[in-house]
Amino acid sequence: MKREPQRRAKPRGPSDAAPLSAPPSEAPLATVARGDLVAAGSRRVVAVTGASSFLGSNLIALLEEDDSVSRIVAIDETSKTFPGPKTRSYEVDLTQPTSEARLAEILAAESAHTIVHLAFLASPSHGSAWVHELESVGTMRITVAAREARVRKFVLWSQTMLYGAEPTNPNFLTEKHPLRASRSEPFFADKLEAEAEVQRLYQQTQHGLDCVVTTLRTAPIVGPSVRNVITRYLARRVVATMMGFDPLVQFLHEVDAIAALKFAVDRDIAGTFNVVGDGILPLSTVLRVCGRVAVPIPHPVAERVNAALWLAQLADAPPEFLKYLRFLCVADGSKIAAAGFRPAYSTREALLDFVNAQRLRDVRLIEENVG
Amino acid sequence: MSKKKKKKQKGQEREIARTGEGRKRVTAKASASPRQGRAKAATPPARRSAGAPERRARTKPLPPRSPRPATVTIEKADAAATEPPFPPTLGPPEPRERDIEAEIRALEAQIDLLTPNRPPGSDALRKARGSDPVSGPTDTATELLSEAYVAQRWGKAALRSKFEPVDEFGYDKVYEERAKPLLDFLYESYFRVEVRDADRVPSEGRVILVANHAGTVPLDGPMLRMALQREHPKKRELRWLAEDFVFHMPFLGAWMNRIGAVRACQENAERLLQEDAAIAVFPEGAKGVGKLFRDRYRLQRFGRGGFIKLALRTGAPVVPVAIVGGEETNPLLFKVELFAKSLGLPFLPVTPTFPLLGPAGLLPAPTKWRIFVGEPLDLSEYGEGAAADELLVGRLSERVRATIQGMLDRAIGERRSVWFG
Repeated sequence: MKREPQRRAKPRGPSDAAPLSAPPSEAPLATVARGDLVAAGSRRVVAVTGASSFLGSNLIALLEEDDSVSRIVAIDETSKTFPGPKTRSYEVDLTQPTSEARLAEILAAESAHTIVHLAFLASPSHGSAWVHELESVGTMRITVAAREARVRKFVLWSQTMLYGAEPTNPNFLTEKHPLRASRSEPFFADKLEAEAEVQRLYQQTQHGLDCVVTTLRTAPIVGPSVRNVITRYLARRVVATMMGFDPLVQFLHEVDAIAALKFAVDRDIAGTFNVVGDGILPLSTVLRVCGRVAVPIPHPVAERVNAALWLAQLADAPPEFLKYLRFLCVADGSKIAAAGFRPAYSTREALLDFVNAQRLRDVRLIEENVG
Repeated sequence: MSKKKKKKQKGQEREIARTGEGRKRVTAKASASPRQGRAKAATPPARRSAGAPERRARTKPLPPRSPRPATVTIEKADAAATEPPFPPTLGPPEPRERDIEAEIRALEAQIDLLTPNRPPGSDALRKARGSDPVSGPTDTATELLSEAYVAQRWGKAALRSKFEPVDEFGYDKVYEERAKPLLDFLYESYFRVEVRDADRVPSEGRVILVANHAGTVPLDGPMLRMALQREHPKKRELRWLAEDFVFHMPFLGAWMNRIGAVRACQENAERLLQEDAAIAVFPEGAKGVGKLFRDRYRLQRFGRGGFIKLALRTGAPVVPVAIVGGEETNPLLFKVELFAKSLGLPFLPVTPTFPLLGPAGLLPAPTKWRIFVGEPLDLSEYGEGAAADELLVGRLSERVRATIQGMLDRAIGERRSVWFG
């Protein structure tokens, strides 16, 4: 805590990283090697954007239990307050131009060590201008604020969907593979821009900026309580499939997604990582396990009908998502496995867990309260 | 005991205590989770060991729920299953194999044998600690959901839920079994495939089969796979690499993928070879499929020698293969490229029967097939670094091409009839 004014008084720049590092007992972060556990005894402040989202609220609950986290700064556009004793909530609307300065102020005042950026939509939205402000521009504002407030770690949530479903994809996409998701769909375009923004921050760390930048690309998240475009698709009793196509799909359990974020907060792993459940399943099997009726539609027809329904705001997703029902988009999780994280649930187990909750939901034994 | 060690131990104890608590919390968080038995997981060891026969009795009356466990493995057999099997909800109802119940029972018995009488929770913790000297109190989530924990939680239930034996590249054994009558008919009666020297393919370890490609509708992959399954002394399972356009097409892509095709790219091939698989490549690629009838059995350029680079990098031997008969099944007269791109195809074929007879015109002609397997070529002497030597790659690629061309020429010379061989 007493380091805080000193840190702010110093001029910013890559060269003063070394003089800033106090003796290891007080400022262990400067001495910790990449990939190592952040030494016990260090009390960190973790900021979470998009705090009221599924991932955000669960991560905060997990951080509340962690003794090495002294305070949690929950940043969200709603004024929801979190019950934990360590959490402090701030209402910041990332779409506002003033949010940048306000964020920097909050982060500096709390002397945040880590920022976990989760303010992304889990489902496509019709309000594309607002989404662009929130996701693409919002990420820029957060990176600027993080740099301004000298945050030491930046964790970004991204998705393997951004690789794009293409017939020319290898069966297992590694982190080196280019992101080829359709840029004409704002859902992907804004997330791609957000990743590029964080990538720029990562480049700066290569040139002296003292910050660990981690991007976690999660496979489609399923589980008993998470709600996103995938679970919405699987929750329908009758689902459309593309005639003649049966791609392999991959899931990540919601608990694993939260655990992976926690892992990135705890350890200094710089770079981009795919976080995926082990194994794959054909889409036809997934639908059979869910007990859904699959209606095969020729894809040229489906694309036009879906486009019309999306315009009329009757469809869950724009036609760009239909590609994921035709071609595979499966990522390889061996890089984060090498760094020490192993998902507990395989694709199949994650799906089973989702299905068991979904069955109760189908017969209205569980009521939905998550957006 | 040093001060440091003591500190560490203390930290562990606190950690364990916290983990138990954390478990409850997370379950509560995943509000709708039906797996609420999580906190129960730390069953005392005495009950577990004594409970074995009782458990079997409990599981016995369950109906056969998992109808497709053709590749049942004991992945998570190292820990015990303390819970009764997962709620019977999964899988399609139609049973495909009769001895599933017996198979599962045998595997369950093995699990009981493998299970040591130790408290599983602490064991998992100890294991996690062993490799991690600085472990602080931050591992909660990963530890709580460690593999050992899940294995313990799921155990036999996991065995029973192996409802879809699709491997990581999409090959479905059950699906192939279903397609077997058709494939057998094609192999035995239609093309009357004969295989020479199938035993030249190494019995184990990674290997790359290189073959000529043709036929508009590429059936040479599945036929080569069947040839090895039937004629090879070790019945090797072959995966063949298919061009991109196959996966672009409805039905064909999904079907080929389920019976063993993999999209042709370096990443996939390398991954398969790392697993010591036998793979077949057709280096002519789409150019081979689009060979005109007058160019039959004249090998096209072998790509950029990707298969040689692959062999050099992975140390896999290269086996040249000549397939005679496959290039006459759909004699290609013209290629129309006008609308092909929009359909994701390299070209639209014009054969004597297609598009004249509609889709039926794509049926292959019943030619007589012969498959010749050449001597394996060991490239390991060049070393791994040789893959960067473009000149060497080109030379080796040309050598393999010449070998296959020679085999083809000899076989064509000996052949008396396209239909009867």
